[in-house]
Amino acid sequence: MSLKKIFDEHPERRYIMFGGKGGLGKTTFSAATAYWLAKQGKKVLVFSVDPQASLSDIFQKDIFGKGPVKIMENLWAQEIDADQHIKAYQGEIRKKILDMYGFEEVPDEIEQYIQAASAEPAMEESAIFDAVVDIVVEGNYDYYIYDLVPLGHALYYLSMAKVYDEWINKITKLREEMREYEEMVSRLKREKETEEDAILNELQYIRGRINASSQILTDKEKTGFFFVVIPEEMILIDTAKAADLFAKFDVPIMGYVVNRVVPRELLDQNIPPYLKNRIEMQDKYLKQIDETFGNQVASRVPELERDVTGLDMIRKLSEIMYGE
Amino acid sequence: MNVSSQPEKKSFWQAAREFLYGLFGMEFAEHALEMRASLESLFMLGTVGDMIGMPVLPPYYSLRLLPYVIPHIETWKRRVLREREFSDEHDYHLEGL
Repeated sequence: MSLKKIFDEHPERRYIMFGGKGGLGKTTFSAATAYWLAKQGKKVLVFSVDPQASLSDIFQKDIFGKGPVKIMENLWAQEIDADQHIKAYQGEIRKKILDMYGFEEVPDEIEQYIQAASAEPAMEESAIFDAVVDIVVEGNYDYYIYDLVPLGHALYYLSMAKVYDEWINKITKLREEMREYEEMVSRLKREKETEEDAILNELQYIRGRINASSQILTDKEKTGFFFVVIPEEMILIDTAKAADLFAKFDVPIMGYVVNRVVPRELLDQNIPPYLKNRIEMQDKYLKQIDETFGNQVASRVPELERDVTGLDMIRKLSEIMYGE
Repeated sequence: MNVSSQPEKKSFWQAAREFLYGLFGMEFAEHALEMRASLESLFMLGTVGDMIGMPVLPPYYSLRLLPYVIPHIETWKRRVLREREFSDEHDYHLEGL
């Protein structure tokens, strides 16, 4: 099944992800897909959840931390600056504390806690996770293309939603139990209604955000995940393992895109043994890919004569991928 | 006459209510508050546990709750970090109810 056919048959799948090991072409395919969809008249946002994002490089435009930047008609690109997001968030927390308690400044102990919490390794991922919720919940675009982090990290990202979900359930349950005791005391003292629990409201808000993100990641109707592979043994072994793990998180896998296939026609020319060997090796693994993934192989993309950067090369690649 | 007897009546009922509350309700209410305080300790641990060295996994979202728990931080720390003796153990009468 071709990539074009997949998109034509499933217009409801608006959240498109390209995942795979590092350096196989996730960003390149994300950009080419976004370009093709934009050319079809769809309003598209391609965004990166990778702290080492390279959308700026591929579009040859500095978009880091600048929100959605228009690349061309119908196409926007965004790289999330986690540090900037965390700083703005810290500012919000501080302001809330000052407003709530009328302090002149945030007490030392609390300020130290805010600083320490923000320096934790999980903070950056959490901040990106939250920023993605903002992006996708707004729903301003026809398509959202996620340029994902490499596989291991992507699994961590997926599991994060699950861990957060468990945390929020536990914390909310505790708060609800506390609430029950408060109400029991109020009834015994024959007091009027207990005050509204602001924390419980806040927890419900957080739960809504976590659910929004995890629902999108696992929504079989609206989400499509493509694995990017190249015809090499290690990559295929790792991808098969990752596909099993992704399936456990209920990520709807839509297909496999094979990248960097050395054109077989070169065999007709006078080529050095090095290249001949590469082609023969790839033949073996391409056969294996077809046997393993069958009609889930959505496209085979040849090794291009130069790296894909700039709109001209992105267009060329999109024409190859989407058969125009 | 009526005007002066009203507050007397009211205070009588008030006193009766308080007497009954002291007789039957107060102990339950105190234990309920005690149970609530225990749950609050756990809640604080799950949200700002880092303050006493217990890592909280989603630091981003727990920070969101920080403004609301500020008034309880000192009491909570005193409660969880104080030294305990074996003889400190006592019953929670409402447990299992």
